[in-house]
Amino acid sequence: MLTCGVDIGSRSIEIVLFDGAAVVETTVANSGSSPVENAKKAFSDTLSSAGVRREEVAKVVATGYGRNYFKEADTVSSEILCHAKGVSYLFPTACTVIDIGGQDSKMISLDTNGRVSNFVMNDRCAAGTGKFIEMVSLMLDVPLDSMGVVTEVSNEVCEISSMCAVFAESEIIGLTQSGTAVDVVLRGVFRSVAKRTLAMSGKVGLTADVVFTGGVARNAGVVRAIEHETGLKLLVPPEPQITGALGAAIIAASKA
Amino acid sequence: MFLEVDLVRDAKRHGKGVVGIYCEFTPRELILAANALPVCLCGANNRTIPPAETVLPSNLCPLIKSSFGYILTNRCPFYMVLDLVVAETTCDGKKKMYELIAEKKPVHVLELTQKVDEQEAFDHWLAEVRKLRKRLEQTFNRTITDDDLREAIRMMNKERGLLKEAFELGKEEPAVLTGKELSDIRYRVAGVAGHLKMLDEFISEAKRRKETGRFAAKAGAPRIMLTGCPTAQGTTKLIEVIEECGAVVVAQETCSGLKPLDLMVDEDGDPLEAIARKYFKLPCSCMTPNTGRTELIERLAREFRVNAVIDLVWQACHTYNVESYLIDKFVREKLGIPYMKIETDYSDSDRERLKVRVQTLVEML
Repeated sequence: MLTCGVDIGSRSIEIVLFDGAAVVETTVANSGSSPVENAKKAFSDTLSSAGVRREEVAKVVATGYGRNYFKEADTVSSEILCHAKGVSYLFPTACTVIDIGGQDSKMISLDTNGRVSNFVMNDRCAAGTGKFIEMVSLMLDVPLDSMGVVTEVSNEVCEISSMCAVFAESEIIGLTQSGTAVDVVLRGVFRSVAKRTLAMSGKVGLTADVVFTGGVARNAGVVRAIEHETGLKLLVPPEPQITGALGAAIIAASKA
Repeated sequence: MFLEVDLVRDAKRHGKGVVGIYCEFTPRELILAANALPVCLCGANNRTIPPAETVLPSNLCPLIKSSFGYILTNRCPFYMVLDLVVAETTCDGKKKMYELIAEKKPVHVLELTQKVDEQEAFDHWLAEVRKLRKRLEQTFNRTITDDDLREAIRMMNKERGLLKEAFELGKEEPAVLTGKELSDIRYRVAGVAGHLKMLDEFISEAKRRKETGRFAAKAGAPRIMLTGCPTAQGTTKLIEVIEECGAVVVAQETCSGLKPLDLMVDEDGDPLEAIARKYFKLPCSCMTPNTGRTELIERLAREFRVNAVIDLVWQACHTYNVESYLIDKFVREKLGIPYMKIETDYSDSDRERLKVRVQTLVEML
């Protein structure tokens, strides 16, 4: 039996086709200016590249910001529950999930059955999220995919103290103009992202194993910064951004 | 039901006094006894916040900013006709805002003492309530007798009793009323016979729903207690979000809900002291320690059989924000049910984000 999870996020759309035991097909697309339209296209692309007809998919669960507007879905689920579900499928020993997406960061604690026992989500603020890192990537002219490698070269770091993405931007301009090297600035940015994220751990705790999901988990620089701040080794799925869609597909399978 | 605005203007034309209030600590009985109308001034609209921020700092709670924005732009229809504003020293932001209003209108501030368990604190509050009686007598040039007070007490007890009866319909399972419907029954002018009649009709209609099986939520819908900052009409977005997610707000432990309705004024004994006693026991987060709030939450959680508690904190409301730590611990550890704090403001821009959290909680229940 096939099920499908559709995660329509603020920056990207992920689709996972699931056969009840394993992933059959995945698609990642940009949300752009018409996320629901783009999700529809990504959904049909996923089906055609897997050679599957729509009626063969028993259940579709949507999650993410666009979840309530995606008409192909049979039902919706919150992305917090979907990420938790996806994580406990990939890493059955996980106790904590750190998820950083385009405009949200979340920390989720899981009970021994892999169910959500508590969660906390950032307030209305872009600092410490994927959008903030994208902005830094443009400012410093370092492509997102190279950011991790660029920061591998040393451990020297600078202080970014602003709590606000807008003020952090002016702080970064100040640093580059005074001659601070790009990799040093980036390590400062990643450390501030790590600190902002970990500030949420006071509410839910930080019990190992800790799994890092969401698009930002693809950035090795942020992974290293969080590991450095916590002293813990993070578990990162091979495709961290599809975790929510995977969880949605698994939830769909349990409801089908 | 006649408009509050028309009612106030009509009263004014007939020589009645109008007294503006902002808070549930204001002893409305004294104002009624002075043959004046106690009217809740406006403060529940996001649109008056930008003008307020030309004077006030932006990191202040939306309730204070919106209230002051109404004054600054002269958009509050009650403010224009009032004779006096009665206010209290509750939180720092409000207290200092009253000094700014005092530049424009006569303001009388009651010093609210904040250690609820101490006799000296109560004695001082009683003296403050006594001074308010004098101030009202001077403003309206009349004597407030003990009999005037007793009559006002009976009137307000009747009004509170009806409101309480309506809010207590939240105990019904399945729910016969949504939290949103209950939020709409408050009237901004106190002691109005027409409002009491409307409440009577509201209660009978809700009971008819029960008899005819027309419920306001699906059987098994999670039952939520809302606690924390007040949600005046126009600022009920969290209640709407909770109910859009499939849960129902059955109990409201807030100043716009059951909190000020829990205690009546004692109709025996010295009326002034009885009035002071009732208001002093309001479990607001500006009191310290505010043990009355956890006691009320515990009782309501049991009586309304709630499945989770959601704590609303308006951004920059420091007292409720800090107290939420204690409420969180109390709800999880003592009551053994989920707790969630939501910090937000009057704008609608974070509805989708709020839905993520609320929907997660609802799905977890």
